[in-house]
Amino acid sequence: MMLAVFATISVALLAAYWGPRWIAILAMLVCLALSIGLFLFEIYSPEYGFHMPWLQVQIDLVPHDRPRGVDS
Amino acid sequence: MNITTGARLPATLNDLFLFAVMLTMAAILTTAMALQYYGGEIPCPLCLLQRVAMFGVGFGVILHFRHGYSARNDGVSLLFALLLLIVSARQTLLDIYPRPGHSYIGSAVLGLHMPVWSVVIAVALLLAFAIKLAVLGGEDLRDRQPSPTLGRLAGLLCLYVIAICLINFVSVILQCGADACHTSQYGLLSGS
Repeated sequence: MMLAVFATISVALLAAYWGPRWIAILAMLVCLALSIGLFLFEIYSPEYGFHMPWLQVQIDLVPHDRPRGVDS
Repeated sequence: MNITTGARLPATLNDLFLFAVMLTMAAILTTAMALQYYGGEIPCPLCLLQRVAMFGVGFGVILHFRHGYSARNDGVSLLFALLLLIVSARQTLLDIYPRPGHSYIGSAVLGLHMPVWSVVIAVALLLAFAIKLAVLGGEDLRDRQPSPTLGRLAGLLCLYVIAICLINFVSVILQCGADACHTSQYGLLSGS
């Protein structure tokens, strides 16, 4: 699929410079659609879906033992 | 002020702005390719998508220098800058704490890794286009051709960006073929 993405962006750039504008726009739109599809495919995990559960964003309720600033 | 000069100044500033954008894209993509070919860092799929997004930003600039100004061209560049931000932000989130079994790929440049640089570049692009549109507008710029000197320089720069896009295309053929992309080796050159 990456091959198709680079093929379409190459066609888009070549057509933008030399070819008819409508071919350039069409190739660019196809490239954009393929890129979004490939991006979603790449980040999807069968185990986690689109989530990233290894990133913990909840506030840690357990107090730290490390000394903090002048109050320690 | 002369009316003709007054109308020409925004158009010249717009040409210079888009030339600078194209120059920046060319420099970044050249650096990425140097890291790939001389540093031996084979790009991951999300890294390749970030390159596509940068070529997409350049696409809008090429349309401007070949077919004249249109706000649509800026819109296309903004669309790809947004894609660059989304892809690079997601990759940065993946790399803040690597997913179990997926260590980080790539080395740091000036203390920042490539996806973080991409976030910075995408935000800078969005900000720059927003300021440009706010300051210069678009009404006076329609269908104005750039000056001959800048037009020639921009044409050469556009050809350079097209050339590196084609090199990337060949590189992707070697790395990925028609299958998924490997980050450890060039698929078609490994012989397996």
